[in-house]
Amino acid sequence: MNEEDVLRALETLAEADRELEAPPAVEVRLRSAFRKKYQRRAWPYFAALTTALASFLLLIRVPPPPTLEIPPVAAPAAPVLAVTAPAPKVVHRQALQPKEVMTDFYPLMEAPPPFERGELLRVSLPASAMRTVGLPVSEDRLGETVQADVLVGEEGLARAIRFVKYER
Amino acid sequence: MLTGDEEAFSTLYRRRQGPIYRFALQMTGNVVIAEDVTQEVFMALLQKTAKYEPSRGSLASFLYGVARNMVLRRLEKTAETEDYRSPEDILDDLTRRETIENVRRAVLSLPAVYRETVVLCDLQDTSYEEAAQALECPIGTVRSRLNRGRSMLASKLRFFSAVRSAV
Repeated sequence: MNEEDVLRALETLAEADRELEAPPAVEVRLRSAFRKKYQRRAWPYFAALTTALASFLLLIRVPPPPTLEIPPVAAPAAPVLAVTAPAPKVVHRQALQPKEVMTDFYPLMEAPPPFERGELLRVSLPASAMRTVGLPVSEDRLGETVQADVLVGEEGLARAIRFVKYER
Repeated sequence: MLTGDEEAFSTLYRRRQGPIYRFALQMTGNVVIAEDVTQEVFMALLQKTAKYEPSRGSLASFLYGVARNMVLRRLEKTAETEDYRSPEDILDDLTRRETIENVRRAVLSLPAVYRETVVLCDLQDTSYEEAAQALECPIGTVRSRLNRGRSMLASKLRFFSAVRSAV
């Protein structure tokens, strides 16, 4: 057997193996590892982006005010939160220990996908955002800033919102 | 891929996994090890424990190099080092072996240093240059190992052939 025969034999083996590939399970495991690695890293950025987007949507969806003044009596079905002016910056917050009062959560999606995991993000929004979920806000306070918690699902969708008021 | 594009990673994997899997299989003759090595190579790429630098050679030779290190580690673990099997060990099931299996076994019985050169250059169609990058040795060494490997294969296959005629 000379070198030519050896090369021919090797060629036969190479030809026989040419179609051999790793089983599909390897790709599945790798993709899963990839997703785990990059989702974890991308999550804070994605959530922040979503929140910013949600805030923007809330802003542009503010309907025109039906009346100039909101009646003093709140609707019984929905929890009502009056918008208060932000605390003066010079006040020492720890000393006063303001208490947080929160509304219920209001859905931001009509038919959200099943919720598995998510994050609650505290954001500042214009008071007009409260109107988008049916909460009353007087005209002169529409431009004020309120605090809100946005529930963002693992997939990055803003699912619900609640508003926060500080009481002393 | 570096920006978290799963499809890009998947495309890269699909394009490159075949040669890596075949290299590992032809080096070890073991599908389980070949599967593990293939996974570990791409996992190393993903976890950046193996970092590819284009200036140091082609991606193919880089991946072969990573795979080679993993294969050699496996071979050490399974105590299959330079003590390659003698042709007599292979005699027992010679009768049911086809030509391909003869060649496969002959390749597997080569010492690793010759086997990896034969597998890369003759079975994987890798250029001498790429093989040299993957094996981290000069091209001249690749050539000499290839010659030596082929001549060892010739004697093994001659032996198999003689045995077959005698059976």
